[in-house]
Amino acid sequence: MLELYHWEPNTFSLKPLIVLHEKGISFTSRYTDFVSLQQYALPANIAENVEVQHNPERDGPILVADGVPMTESFFITLYLDESYPEKPLRPADAYGRWQVLMWARFVNEVLEPAVSTLGAKQYLAPALAARDRRDVEKTISRMPTEEQRGAWSAALNNTYTDELVADSRRKIALGVRKIEDALAASDWLVGNAYSLADIDAYAILSPLRDLEADLLADAPRTAAWLVRIDARPAVQAALATSRTGKPQEAFTPGPEHSRWG
Amino acid sequence: MLTLYHWEPNANSGKPMLALAEKGVKFQSHYLDLLNFDQHKPEYLKINPNGTIPALVHDDLVLTESTAIMEYADEAFPGPKLTPDDPVERWRMRWWMRFFDQYFAPSLSMIGWSIFVGPSVRNKDPEELKAAIERIPLKERRIAWSKAIYNTFSPEELEESRRRVGVGTLALEKALSDRQWIAGETYSLADINGFNLGYALPLAQPQLCNDEKTPHILHWLRAIYARPAAKATWKLGRTPMAERVKYLES
Repeated sequence: MLELYHWEPNTFSLKPLIVLHEKGISFTSRYTDFVSLQQYALPANIAENVEVQHNPERDGPILVADGVPMTESFFITLYLDESYPEKPLRPADAYGRWQVLMWARFVNEVLEPAVSTLGAKQYLAPALAARDRRDVEKTISRMPTEEQRGAWSAALNNTYTDELVADSRRKIALGVRKIEDALAASDWLVGNAYSLADIDAYAILSPLRDLEADLLADAPRTAAWLVRIDARPAVQAALATSRTGKPQEAFTPGPEHSRWG
Repeated sequence: MLTLYHWEPNANSGKPMLALAEKGVKFQSHYLDLLNFDQHKPEYLKINPNGTIPALVHDDLVLTESTAIMEYADEAFPGPKLTPDDPVERWRMRWWMRFFDQYFAPSLSMIGWSIFVGPSVRNKDPEELKAAIERIPLKERRIAWSKAIYNTFSPEELEESRRRVGVGTLALEKALSDRQWIAGETYSLADINGFNLGYALPLAQPQLCNDEKTPHILHWLRAIYARPAAKATWKLGRTPMAERVKYLES
């Protein structure tokens, strides 16, 4: 049996939701409100795993299969594609698969921290400010890693600097240009078929249309690619799991920006 | 036709070297001296415009990024599989490779660069060094090399890196106390990745990583070095850095 702990269908949580629907895999949804920090009140058999505590996304979906809690949204989608080979979402050849891994690495290293920073500043920080401060501080103090405590404190105190915002915008512009270039040769990022690479990048870039639309203004191919993916029934089904009606505003602090500059 | 452009059997270069050796895949070795900035010279930038090593050239395909190269090699070539059959183990293999590549290794290498890479190149001609830095194509690599050469890592940055090496070491010890190999029951690319990161950890961080505090890490490192492919790969080293592996013979 598969259980998916997830929040609103946006960014990290959106990726496995799309793949589960694309493949028609049945699963038990465990909706977890990340802005209420419910992900820090999970059962011990999940919460006490190294791979949960040191989740590079900090807050993201957790897929429990055979009693093993798996984190890292792209690797969860890879797990699903390998375990349920019907309707494959990766190329069959080693080079195509290497390209999928390269896109995922770029997205997780460059785009995910950048988009998360802008989304957290815009939506998460005000949402936290409206809550009982002592409650939030108490939960933060119990988070398992210093990285998580630091990231949530930054959101609670809205300490995102202009420099960090500018660097995030620079990274997103770089990513959008890379995607725009790739889409000159094909409708999809890898080869001529929709794949996990498209799902991975779509989940992160889709909310930009509300958040920082100007960053997509000079990227008509990217805008059309987002609309192509929007139209897929599996994507519509994943988005329909929203409980707030505004999934594109659901943000967590996200992974950290590379410390090497 | 298969050519691997690499430096020492260490960190990123050592990953595809060991993976190919485990599979018994023969390749043409093209050694690049990282400390002589061979990876930023025009001949190599024609192969990999980003100027990062390693790179694997397979017929007309150029593969970069050491962890992704290993996954490619495991799929593309015959020989023993280095990816587990069990999908959960495959997930765990990939999770740990990301943890090594993006959390543990950058901190360990910041310390390594400040005490080893920087001092090794700093005695070169200042103008030559400046020109070498300017040739580096990626902005983040340019910053990293400048910091290493001129030793401008801040005390806070280095302290944070030391803290993370401590966190990473404890996490690894905990994982290996539950399982024989990183992914589970199968020796995999994650062990090859982790060995390249950690083979000298007991020497570099003796107070953190030793037979008393981290017995499972030491046992695991010795088990990997006992493999003929690891021995053969580390024999290809040309610098004292790679010789640190001999610690595992004790």
